[in-house]
Amino acid sequence: MPDSGYPWPIETTRLDNGLRVVVSEDRTAPAVAVNLWYDVGSRHEPQGQTGFAHLFEHLMFEGSVNVAKTEHMKLIQGAGGSLNATTNPDRTNYFETVPAEHLELALWLEADRMGGLVPALTQETLDNQRDVVKNERRQRYENVPYGDAWLRLLPLLYPPGHPYHHATIGSMADLNAADLATFQAFHRTYYAPDNAVLTVVGDTSAAEVFALAEKYFGGIPARGDIPAAPDGRTVPATGRPVAETVTADVPAPRVYVAHRTHPFGSPGYDVITVLAAVLGSGRGSRLYQRLADGERIAQPDLVGAYGVDLAHAPAPLIATVTARPGVGAQRLADGLHAVMDELATVPVTPSELDRAKALLSTAWWRQMSTVDGRADTLSRYATQFGDPARAAERLPAWLAVTAEQIAEAAAEVLAADDRVTLTYLAEEKP
Amino acid sequence: MTLIATRPGPGPARPYRFPSVVRRAVAGGQVVAAHLPGQNLAVALLLLDAGAEREPVGKEGLGGVLAKALEEGTAQRDAAAYALAVEGLGTELVTALDWDSFQVSVQVPVDRLGAAVELLAEAVRTPRLDPADVVRVRDDEATALRMDWANPGPRADAALRADLFGAENRWGRPMYGDPESVAGLDVEDVRVFHSEWFIRPGTLVVAGDLDRVDLDALGAAAFAGTGGGPVDRAGPIDVRLREGRRIILVDRPGSVQSTLRLGHPSPHRAHPDHVPMTLAGTVLGGAFTSRLNHLIREVRGYTYGIRGDFASSRRFGRFAVSSGVQTAVTAPALTEAVGEISRTQSGGVTEEELAVARSWRAGQLSVELQSPRAIAAALATLVVHDLPDDYHARLREALLAADVDQVSAAAATHLHPESLTLVVEGDAAVIRDELAATGLGEIVES
Repeated sequence: MPDSGYPWPIETTRLDNGLRVVVSEDRTAPAVAVNLWYDVGSRHEPQGQTGFAHLFEHLMFEGSVNVAKTEHMKLIQGAGGSLNATTNPDRTNYFETVPAEHLELALWLEADRMGGLVPALTQETLDNQRDVVKNERRQRYENVPYGDAWLRLLPLLYPPGHPYHHATIGSMADLNAADLATFQAFHRTYYAPDNAVLTVVGDTSAAEVFALAEKYFGGIPARGDIPAAPDGRTVPATGRPVAETVTADVPAPRVYVAHRTHPFGSPGYDVITVLAAVLGSGRGSRLYQRLADGERIAQPDLVGAYGVDLAHAPAPLIATVTARPGVGAQRLADGLHAVMDELATVPVTPSELDRAKALLSTAWWRQMSTVDGRADTLSRYATQFGDPARAAERLPAWLAVTAEQIAEAAAEVLAADDRVTLTYLAEEKP
Repeated sequence: MTLIATRPGPGPARPYRFPSVVRRAVAGGQVVAAHLPGQNLAVALLLLDAGAEREPVGKEGLGGVLAKALEEGTAQRDAAAYALAVEGLGTELVTALDWDSFQVSVQVPVDRLGAAVELLAEAVRTPRLDPADVVRVRDDEATALRMDWANPGPRADAALRADLFGAENRWGRPMYGDPESVAGLDVEDVRVFHSEWFIRPGTLVVAGDLDRVDLDALGAAAFAGTGGGPVDRAGPIDVRLREGRRIILVDRPGSVQSTLRLGHPSPHRAHPDHVPMTLAGTVLGGAFTSRLNHLIREVRGYTYGIRGDFASSRRFGRFAVSSGVQTAVTAPALTEAVGEISRTQSGGVTEEELAVARSWRAGQLSVELQSPRAIAAALATLVVHDLPDDYHARLREALLAADVDQVSAAAATHLHPESLTLVVEGDAAVIRDELAATGLGEIVES
């Protein structure tokens, strides 16, 4: 068993303005990954402003005081780099991987949009990116079968007012109502050095990065009192199952089962991670063996279970199966519920446990096999747990999970009377 | 404000190097490996000459069904025991198929690579192919394709491919087949395809820390019990361009977006213009900063994204643009996309655009080729297209050396806006009249 999931050096510092800087040197390839986590996500959005954190992420690519509209992309790609950004309920992250000689360019670009976005933000840019995001919503959620499952599951799992109640993509009505002043205020409030972590991994040194960070980010003032998102850590068990059935233009019945578990990073969630692999990863998983292979009621390619790694409230565990032709939704749901229930009553065998841990080990090392994967991991642990070095704990924690802990966790958080079930039925074709 | 206004220039360039490549003949097959010192994870990938092009016309999807059937039990163990053995090593059997090759791979911590390759070979060389299992897998594959074809895209892709290459040819039909072709396969088809193409040794590609790997042992495991040599491949296909554009309308009632697939045939992979063509495609539709994405997404806001590129296999190629646009703007989006392709064909590229495209493509060789999986894929390219060990270094030089005249000439020669097939998958009742009014071409209902 490895002692550490992160056998590379980690050095950290904090600038006077509060920006935390994390560096992990690795000279293997002539590339560096630059990764920023801003501690703001859709959990911070008040009612009526859903989708704003994500729309804002788009605006960050549209120019800042010293960078013209669309120039950010052009400069990074023109340097040979890859770049993107993502928003989720917890946080917003921005990242680029560039040939090592362009490290300074990447830091300059990131600093310029951290410290100088607001003066460059125009109504025209907002209107254009609002249209782009609405098209993203159509493409990813509205125009594909089952595309809205995540949008439906969240409000069933989390009550109104809870920071995870609404989905990050937001509602069309709120996006339509978005005004420029709100976004200017959003940047001033959350895009501050003392609300961010900058991680650099790859062909560079801590001394070089610390000096460049001071040079480019050092002059950006701290924000100070950054407003916290609503506290969602306690979600009272409802004591009654919730079920929603949707009739839609889908090719086969599908069932999702979801539970609130524990926050990512907690010992309880490590157990859930291993449990999810036992339940739904691969052909040796319980769902595959029982429902795809055994009873043969589920389509083999569409069986799965996973935890959604959210850290600020009990994170969801989601399991899903899709019916084989001729199998009804009720039979499918009964089968899925039975397999879920058995996690508490039928002990996980040593070979099931070893299989799950082996798959998780490979997944971990796959994430660690690139500088960008490592940079994102270090940013996460610095942002959410205050110390990037705690990344090393995750893999050993998974490997220490026992069958007894899985049964206990199943009894504790996967109880049938606190379960969300979402069922899709195929509408009758005329 | 205390930001630094001056954009920094680059530091001293680091030398580019692709990992050192080892080629070795072992036990009747070839091993091609890349050394990744210190990497904990390793990938082994068995490359077989069993791509979609080897499937007979009318049997599309054979490779996909066989890929799934490999895991339904072997000469040594049943399906459940096989799954536990493979996944107990921390890997899954990953199968992939393109026009030129069939690939089966494993990805594991390096100390488990030997055991993983033994299991890989067990499934590829000695699958049970029990008739009842094959029938079930075939039915599941047909269902899986039906699920996939319920999404926007596959029907439009198929319409484009058939129009470009002719549905009477294997390469004019979908690479993975369609729900009907798969449903029509029988057990004998699968067994014959296996015996014809999966017993030949092929090439084992390995990416990992070679100091901790025994390549001879891996080769011996991968090629045990194999026989038969390589089979000749036919040469490039001469595909005719169509005379005049046409619009193919694929109905998707109620769709909130229209799926666009625009394309025409283009040269095969070994064509001498490969590099300038790639760069012309990059300027037009490859990078986020491309002309198409800039106009259709960043200026107009019609879409979440639009891409275009030249893609090629050993025998043929195609230029294609794909996007999903809001239904209400289908006609203007189509018109503007065709306009941008025409402008690029007639006016070529600028030095400023090309500078971004060439350094992006060149830099991606450093940035994207890091993981064992990515390196293994790069090695597979060397094998499939008979390229030398220093191919990636040479490619980098060729990309950086390409000038405006060469790339503009490639755009002029290889883009054919007047011969485009324009496939639109969307709500036909809503968009038909507007599409007709564009005057872009006659409308054919698919």
